[in-house]
Amino acid sequence: MLVLTVVGTLLLVPPLVHLFNHDITVLGVPQIVFYLFGVWLALIAATALLTSRLAPERTFTGDKDES
Amino acid sequence: MLSADFVIATAIAYVGLLFVLAYFGDRRARLAKKSWLNSPAVYTLSISVYCTSWTFYGAVGNAARSGLEFLTIYLGPTIVFVGWYFLLRRLVRISHIYRITSVADLLSSRFGKSNRLGVLVTCIAVIGIAPYIALQLKAVTSSIQAVAGSSEFGRGSLRGIDDVGLALGVAAGMALFTILFGTRHVDAKEHHHGVVAAIAFEAVVKLMALVAVGIFVLFIGGGFEGIFEQAAARGVVVETTASFDSRWLTTLALSIAAIVCLPRQFQVTVVENSDENHLRVAGWAFPAYMLLMSIFILPIAVYGLAVMPEGSNPDMFALTLPLAAGQNGLALFAFIGGFSSATSMIILESIALSIMVSNHIIMPLVLRFAPVNQSGDGQGVSRVLLVARRFSIMLILSLGFFYFFFTRDSDALAPIGLISFTAIAQFFPALLAAIFWKDASLKAVSSAILLGFVTWAWCCFLPSFDSVWPAVSELLRQGPWGISWLRPQAMFGLDGWDPLAHAAFWSLSVNILTLTIGSLVTTPSALERIQATAFVDVFRRPNLPQRSFAPGSTTANDLYFVAERVLGEQRAAALFESAARESGVDPIGFEPTPEFVGHLERELAGSIGAASAHVMVSKVVAGSDVSLEEMIQMADEAQQVIEYSQQLEKTSAELRVTARKLEDANTQLRELDTRKDEFLSQVSHEVRTPMTSIRSFSEILLDPAPLDEGQRQRFVSTIHTESLRLTKLLDEILDLSALERGERSWDNAPFDAEEALDRAVSVCDALLRQKGMRVEFSDRAKSTMIDGDADRLCQVLINLVSNAVKYNDAESPVVVISSKVRGGNYYVEVADNGPGIPRKHRHLIFDKFWRGVEGAGDQGGAGLGLAISRQIVSRMNGSLELVQGPFLGACFRIRLPIVGSVQTDRA
Repeated sequence: MLVLTVVGTLLLVPPLVHLFNHDITVLGVPQIVFYLFGVWLALIAATALLTSRLAPERTFTGDKDES
Repeated sequence: MLSADFVIATAIAYVGLLFVLAYFGDRRARLAKKSWLNSPAVYTLSISVYCTSWTFYGAVGNAARSGLEFLTIYLGPTIVFVGWYFLLRRLVRISHIYRITSVADLLSSRFGKSNRLGVLVTCIAVIGIAPYIALQLKAVTSSIQAVAGSSEFGRGSLRGIDDVGLALGVAAGMALFTILFGTRHVDAKEHHHGVVAAIAFEAVVKLMALVAVGIFVLFIGGGFEGIFEQAAARGVVVETTASFDSRWLTTLALSIAAIVCLPRQFQVTVVENSDENHLRVAGWAFPAYMLLMSIFILPIAVYGLAVMPEGSNPDMFALTLPLAAGQNGLALFAFIGGFSSATSMIILESIALSIMVSNHIIMPLVLRFAPVNQSGDGQGVSRVLLVARRFSIMLILSLGFFYFFFTRDSDALAPIGLISFTAIAQFFPALLAAIFWKDASLKAVSSAILLGFVTWAWCCFLPSFDSVWPAVSELLRQGPWGISWLRPQAMFGLDGWDPLAHAAFWSLSVNILTLTIGSLVTTPSALERIQATAFVDVFRRPNLPQRSFAPGSTTANDLYFVAERVLGEQRAAALFESAARESGVDPIGFEPTPEFVGHLERELAGSIGAASAHVMVSKVVAGSDVSLEEMIQMADEAQQVIEYSQQLEKTSAELRVTARKLEDANTQLRELDTRKDEFLSQVSHEVRTPMTSIRSFSEILLDPAPLDEGQRQRFVSTIHTESLRLTKLLDEILDLSALERGERSWDNAPFDAEEALDRAVSVCDALLRQKGMRVEFSDRAKSTMIDGDADRLCQVLINLVSNAVKYNDAESPVVVISSKVRGGNYYVEVADNGPGIPRKHRHLIFDKFWRGVEGAGDQGGAGLGLAISRQIVSRMNGSLELVQGPFLGACFRIRLPIVGSVQTDRA
């Protein structure tokens, strides 16, 4: 999860973002748009996947007394 | 056609719908704990209050003006939610345990329940959010104007009312609505189920509205490709290439800070969270929501630029595109979507801020000027609280309105929001330090936030009045009093930067630097240290005992009074009864335990904030601070006891070592004693043997029986020899004891060591011949002068050589003698090829009374030779040791310091 967060951040900031920033259009849409939304979607999917593998925590609600 | 009157009426109807929703939501939440309201989906939707009319209208405008930059506002929060496990989970856990009510409460609670910090954070939040509120007012106003301007008769009853008047009306309406909506309950608890339900509903409405507009645009524009092609044909170029600079990074960082620190985000994400596991869903669902929101923003912006007439406001494309196409139903839906996003933001933001204001500014004032024990009306403090919150809501909305009023000429929405983001980001370093760094101290955090805020006000807030006051624009160009390096947008000569990046860089740098350095040089107070451990180690020690009050210093009555005033009669009674039941006593005779007082304080904190709750309980529970000091002192004493016992352990270890040494010495003594006994018997034996022969021979001689002359002669000579042997033995014993006690007078004088060596060898010559032994000389030193007694050295050498002869049973026995000079010392080595000395005896050979190989006792000697030799050599400042020789046999080495350099060649 830490790796995902860090990699996600790195993919969205310069200089990595420049790698995909060319004046090319895919289906009429600039490449960078596809790249950014793609990274975004990948992050969402990976988080959902990772979270589902993570064992749920002992429920800790504010309504219960913690003692 | 749509008219302004119609949309306003729709908006009011919509608000009424929200009201009903909130009402039923609250009722449902009160009746059943496990309702659909308490689900991850509702939680996620309520978080999406992040998407305000800034998203709905502003993002489109932003995309039209500066390309993809609008995405950072959503990518930042995505990163935070993808990493929910690290930051948000921790925040939620801390807030649940300590009943945190706001960012200000979190910071003040963490830093020693300091109310000053709470006040500071609250003030900054109220001022910093004003532009954000203004943004919403502006968006709503513009959207109504857009509808009104779309047709001839659209203005309806708005005729003659300008932007300001409309905005004032909107602000007043919002204030009224929020007051009715958010502060209905006398029960001032931290959860607002009804509001959350309404917010979640609004989240669905605004998403659907934006998606509907997006699909409509795609439909009439001919899909993504068609839109981009049309735009290209019209020469509209969306800036997608040049935007990844400092501004990209700045907005990304600011949005990361904002999603955590914005009062309303903290409220929905952390405070309103009822189950930690909801975060697991929100971790991916909220980014997905934002993705859906923003996926249509670029097509709408590009299409709007392509088809709308020159000079139309790109912020309003989401509304004006359907209007222009004559789709009134869709336009109305879009308007409601935008209105939703604005109202949800204003409602929650002002509720969150009003909680901060009432808990950190008004409550402490009330506590200071009204003694707790004064009998109030039945509603208790919560009435005061509600009034305070209503007043705060009005204050916050008026501030927003005034900001709008002063900056109404600036056109874009997004930059206004970023001003707020920069202000709120000032809390982020402090927040991170609060939950991750134990050493962060109150003074450092307070000054860091204050300095960051001042920098923000100078670099970011002030310049936004540029177009209003000529003085400000003058200031921007020239700097204050003509000091150019203090110009708000070019501090310290940092010219040519984007103003936002510039302001964020300076304010956050100052902030972080002050926080870090300040924390390193200041020492936190006792309460701060306790809170720091409690917050930072929240996952390690989740049930850390809270600071306990001195037991018995308070009565249940006083506490009940306090609880009743804040929580209301019902909740207070329930709290006390359950506590009494748990401890198994009658509610009337209930004595508050320290744990109960701590628990009560946290309950109160849920309503009025940690700092106020602390003050309130401390007022009732006498000497609480003293008890805190006592606790620290007790901890110190415990520390001392530990240190003392460590010292004891150390001493006892030393004692053990000494005891072992003593034991060793004792063993040695016993051994010596045994050896002395052995020696005495040996001496007795040695003395007795010659004595016996002397006696028997003398008896024979005394006998009158005739003896021939030869026999007589032989007997007499035997007697003589035996008495000589006896004398020699006694001499040796005397000599050694005299040497040991240093009694014998000793004159060291220079002499030639080589000469002494030659003399010793010649003395031993007869003995050597007798045994058929050879003497070999290996290297010989030149004539060397040493300080000492020549005769004594000779004695030592004779002893060594004769030992080598005596114990040598080899077939062709050899003694090898060598001498050399090295490093200012003279060395003589005497080695033989005999059996050598067994390893286990090597350390004993110089001891007194030790005799060589068993069975060699007939070789004579009392085992004193080597002991005497060593004594002699050491008296001459030299040493005698057993070394590894050229043969297997023993090899003794004498080392003596050279005295002069008088050396003559040997012939």
